[in-house]
Amino acid sequence: MRYIFAEQFQKIADSDKKTVFMTGDLGFNAFEPLIQSMGPRFINAGVAEHNMVTAAAGLAYSGLKPWIYSIAPFVSIKVLEELRNDVCLPNANVKIVALGGGFDYAIAGPTHHALEDVALMLTLPNMKIYVPSFPQDIAPIIKEMSEHQSPSYLRLTKAHTTNINIPAFKPMRQVIKGDKLTIVVLGSLAVEVIDAVSKFEYKIDLWAVSQLPLRIDDAFEESIKKTKSLIIIEEHVEHGGLGQYLSAYLMKRGRVSPNFIHLATKGYQSGLYGSRDFYLKENSLDKKSIARIVEKYLSRL
Amino acid sequence: MKIGNKNQISILLRKRILDFAVKTEKAHVHIGSCLSAIDILIETLVFQMGSRDRFILSKGHASLALYVVFNYLKKISNKELASYFEEGTHFGIHTPGSMPDLIPLATGSLGHGLSFAAGVALGYKMQDQKTKRHVYVMISDGECNEGAVWEAAQFAVAIRIDNLTVIIDKNRVQALGRNKEVLGDGASVAKWRAFGFNVGTCNGHSFADLSAGFSALNKLKNNRPSVLICKTIRGRGIKSIENKVVSNYTAVTKEVYEEAILNLKS
Repeated sequence: MRYIFAEQFQKIADSDKKTVFMTGDLGFNAFEPLIQSMGPRFINAGVAEHNMVTAAAGLAYSGLKPWIYSIAPFVSIKVLEELRNDVCLPNANVKIVALGGGFDYAIAGPTHHALEDVALMLTLPNMKIYVPSFPQDIAPIIKEMSEHQSPSYLRLTKAHTTNINIPAFKPMRQVIKGDKLTIVVLGSLAVEVIDAVSKFEYKIDLWAVSQLPLRIDDAFEESIKKTKSLIIIEEHVEHGGLGQYLSAYLMKRGRVSPNFIHLATKGYQSGLYGSRDFYLKENSLDKKSIARIVEKYLSRL
Repeated sequence: MKIGNKNQISILLRKRILDFAVKTEKAHVHIGSCLSAIDILIETLVFQMGSRDRFILSKGHASLALYVVFNYLKKISNKELASYFEEGTHFGIHTPGSMPDLIPLATGSLGHGLSFAAGVALGYKMQDQKTKRHVYVMISDGECNEGAVWEAAQFAVAIRIDNLTVIIDKNRVQALGRNKEVLGDGASVAKWRAFGFNVGTCNGHSFADLSAGFSALNKLKNNRPSVLICKTIRGRGIKSIENKVVSNYTAVTKEVYEEAILNLKS
């Protein structure tokens, strides 16, 4: 989605001259037009992410609107203290664009994967997290980010498309209607899940989550009441992600307690490198594994 | 202002620091750093800065020294300052984030202030070339252990900001040893010059020297940030702890206080 991001961000940068873009030495073959059009408002901050985050906080203090960009772990795990102290505690207007959520960086290996970022960002005060599910989410998300005067974190992944009609971006939206099993998926893994469940017509009530923290849709609670079954799927570690967020929410509300399965990443069991699909298979998060788990679950009902 | 008058301010504010420190009798006041930094803070905040300039105390543990200078400038009232170290105060061990116009960044974790100051200076420069709003940031020589300081130093030079002055409180002692014995001298002229800064040095307890140090740097017009390396003595004025590692953790007891007051009078 980085090309779409670059294209859409260009519009923000053109219309708002206070917008500044800082990159941690990344964006080759994607940001050349931005470099041209933004001039001194495009800053290559070098391979120095600790400085980039805090300098962005300084730019925000001066009245500018900085966006910072790097590979996801380098603007989340690596710089957590800078994000907490200098961006989130003072509620600085800094936008973080994190490229490569989940296993997106594939054979680049675990150092380039981001499986813990949502959990970490959720612990920070004032931080909004955007996890686009589909390419068409990018435009409304970055518009919203630019209008909101607070920190936000955008978890970008490679563009995935799907053949089904997707409703417009909402933090939580129903993607497929069904009455036997409720499934919720975080971010762009939605595309794999749509493919995996398409054969179970009218049985799967599928919801996509693209923003956290989240105000839960009443219709979603109705869905769980009806199906009494919930599977949460995310390309993220079990702890601190969507699964724990939603299950804690439902427990606090005390209205529904569905049968619950959480499909999350389990780590690097083989220690081997491969494509995103290789890692998804190893973690039972690929299309076939998800379809198998759903089929097994439905057969027990 | 005459140097003698500046020295009078120094005596006045050193006494204020000691008065608050003895009230708490807590080591967390970081009395050693407060007493090494106070003269630099007076020269910078009272005599160098313009009304729209900004100052960031990156070595946030010397906060009491900053608070008393702001109190002298009537930017923090006596009543407000009286709450220092009390429950529910704005004025704790490290600088707060609750008054961003006065204190742009809440610090305490070392290695953040220079990056932030560089960002503010760049932001001011990008928005208005004419106003020349200047940003000052005080770091400590021990803080130069932090890698982020050097990320920021490279950045500040690369973006060609001449409206940034780094001030190093070079008291040569850190929390658990002498700098040279820990990771070496991060406040050496050679290091900062190698990174591309305009470098000045001075005695951080001599107002004549401090003033001359700032003046010399202010004359340079080469699109480079500046650093003023100020040689200081940690715990200055309390002879029993001066220039000693223990000065970082010395609680100002009545005995220590009396020693310091006697020294001030002399």
